[in-house]
Amino acid sequence: MFLKNCLRIFSSARIRFLLNNNVKASTFVNYKSVASLSTSKLALESEKVKVTFVLNDGKRLETVANVGDTLLDVVVNNDLNIEGFGACEGTVTCSTCHVILKPEDFERLPEEASDEERDMLDLAYSLTETSRLGCQITLTKELDGLEVKVPETINDARS
Amino acid sequence: MRNRLGVVKWRIRSLSERKLTTSARCFKAIDNGSEIGNNFPARAAQCPIKVQRARSTHAAVGTVLDTVSSAVKSWDEVPGPKPLPLLGNTWRFVPYIGGYSVEHVDKVCMSLRQKYGKCVKMAGLLGRPDMLFVFDAGEVERVFRGEDAAPHRPSMPSLNYYKHTLRKDFFGAEQDCAGVIAVHGDSWAAFRTKVSKVALSTSSAAQYTVPVAEVADAFVNRIRQIRDENLETPGDFLNEVNKWSLESLGLIALDTRLGCFESVEGSESQRLIDAVHTFFLSVGELELRAPWWRIYPTAMFRRYVAALDTILSVTLRHVERALKECEANGGSKSLLQDLVSAAGSRVAAVAALDLFLVGIDTTSNAVASTLYQLALRPEVQERLHEEITKVLQGRPLTPGDINQMPYLKACIKEVLRMFPVVIGNGRQLTKDTVICGYNIPKGTQVIFQHYVMGNSEEYFTNASEFRPERWIQRSMYKHHAFASLPFGFGKRMCLGRRFAELEMHIVLCKIVQAFKMEYHHQPLDYHIHPMYTPDGPLRLKFIDR
Repeated sequence: MFLKNCLRIFSSARIRFLLNNNVKASTFVNYKSVASLSTSKLALESEKVKVTFVLNDGKRLETVANVGDTLLDVVVNNDLNIEGFGACEGTVTCSTCHVILKPEDFERLPEEASDEERDMLDLAYSLTETSRLGCQITLTKELDGLEVKVPETINDARS
Repeated sequence: MRNRLGVVKWRIRSLSERKLTTSARCFKAIDNGSEIGNNFPARAAQCPIKVQRARSTHAAVGTVLDTVSSAVKSWDEVPGPKPLPLLGNTWRFVPYIGGYSVEHVDKVCMSLRQKYGKCVKMAGLLGRPDMLFVFDAGEVERVFRGEDAAPHRPSMPSLNYYKHTLRKDFFGAEQDCAGVIAVHGDSWAAFRTKVSKVALSTSSAAQYTVPVAEVADAFVNRIRQIRDENLETPGDFLNEVNKWSLESLGLIALDTRLGCFESVEGSESQRLIDAVHTFFLSVGELELRAPWWRIYPTAMFRRYVAALDTILSVTLRHVERALKECEANGGSKSLLQDLVSAAGSRVAAVAALDLFLVGIDTTSNAVASTLYQLALRPEVQERLHEEITKVLQGRPLTPGDINQMPYLKACIKEVLRMFPVVIGNGRQLTKDTVICGYNIPKGTQVIFQHYVMGNSEEYFTNASEFRPERWIQRSMYKHHAFASLPFGFGKRMCLGRRFAELEMHIVLCKIVQAFKMEYHHQPLDYHIHPMYTPDGPLRLKFIDR
């Protein structure tokens, strides 16, 4: 399972990089995924959703993300400039990928927070009713257009 | 009012308690708690989001501004016991003369807090950097949040010496492969990244539910065997708990049933248990007393190195064997195999070694301490038994069941709040930092005193009372999340946390299912030995249910 995740993250990062930088390479990647045996994976990878991160200073970072990625993957893969986001690399040991969702989005998330996530949310800064950890929100097709707020961090208070 | 007023609405079907109470608190913030409405989702939505957390934001801004204002006091002004010329403060830990005993650092810290306030300087410890004891949870929060990519955790110069000088041929043979304990900076970060995704993913521990439950069953049987005619355990019961802990860890780290319960004097597993215990006993002595070992190998230091060598050789042998089996069977389904395929066999071996160094005594003392506390409280046992019976309904434990047992989890949290097996946590500052209004220089070891904070009325309502409910009905009890952090926080959080929690939850579940526990001897005080643990023979009475 881990290996699969690892491969997924790695390959999607590579694919994005290639897509962004090299048209030829992207054709090659497409060819490769056609050759792939797993049809479900192909379908997953080809589906994209729009995600917007609203920063504390009001700046909006709009991006296109793969279905199946977590919000933390999206930030990492797209090199979004959110300071200190995801310090523990998605191992649920910090709360730096804390995001605040709109109540309606919060309600329709497919998965509830696990106990581990709750323990970490308890330690989050600027905690709200609709807070979640970005590393624990996996994008589905239904979440297209998702907009999340990245709350103030202690580093904001500092500058 | 320092605690968060819990504005999170947990979306749990089975646990509406938490949901109701947290929002109730939120209403109070708005309209003085006049009503807890039925239409609460609507009202909750109106809840001004940052009501209480804004406080700490202001606090943070205030303290940050302090850095530029002249109000910041200097390091010299931090209160604390005055070091003597030449002798420093180390003499205070010399038996009989000093007044500070290594065994009772808990009480020393309590009295330091009372005498000097929320931050106390301990300067002039021979051969060590100056230390700052912090008793303020808000400041702990600030230091943790301000952490950079590779926080420096002050730990065990002696282990450092072992890994980087004495046995550098082994630990330095491959780049970034020295492990996580007593390793810092880039080397730590590289190793941690390789291991943490495997070890800390929330699902990796759950896959061990069934085998760990088998070990717990074996432990329950073992308890039945070792009870005397009064159904009491012998005085060295802690050693039996150690065997359980080692057996469970062997399963997780090495894919092996070590057979600890059948072990006898001189067997390999007993040698491993003894070595781990020697390691822990001597670490406290070597680190807190004057470090003579830096000048010549003292008897204590020689025992320490021998113990480490034993652990290393036993671990390596098992990793090699497990690797062969892994090759033979193929596939990747265990922690060890995951580690091998993700990062190579040497990383897996070193990770296993680190798990053995810090994963046996900690878990077993936490369990021993919990069993003792439960034995004193039949009503808590009853409630636990009720919860477990309700969830399991006579079937065996499966992954996920534990998540339906909030009271069980709360009991462990409560024991670790009042009696954290590791009484403090620390960081070595990588930059000058303002703490409690003092400018603390880079390189200082900052020790967060979680034992003192966890037992302080300031952070927990009725702090001296054992109330697991406080972790469930959060709004009814004051609680500061950074005051009690038994596993630490952030990038250096305990790497074995998921496994430790799994082991503790399962063994507790099994024992409560099987027995009623009682204790009929002198009340036990706690001491540092070297974990914070009940001082005296654990003669618990186990009565079959």
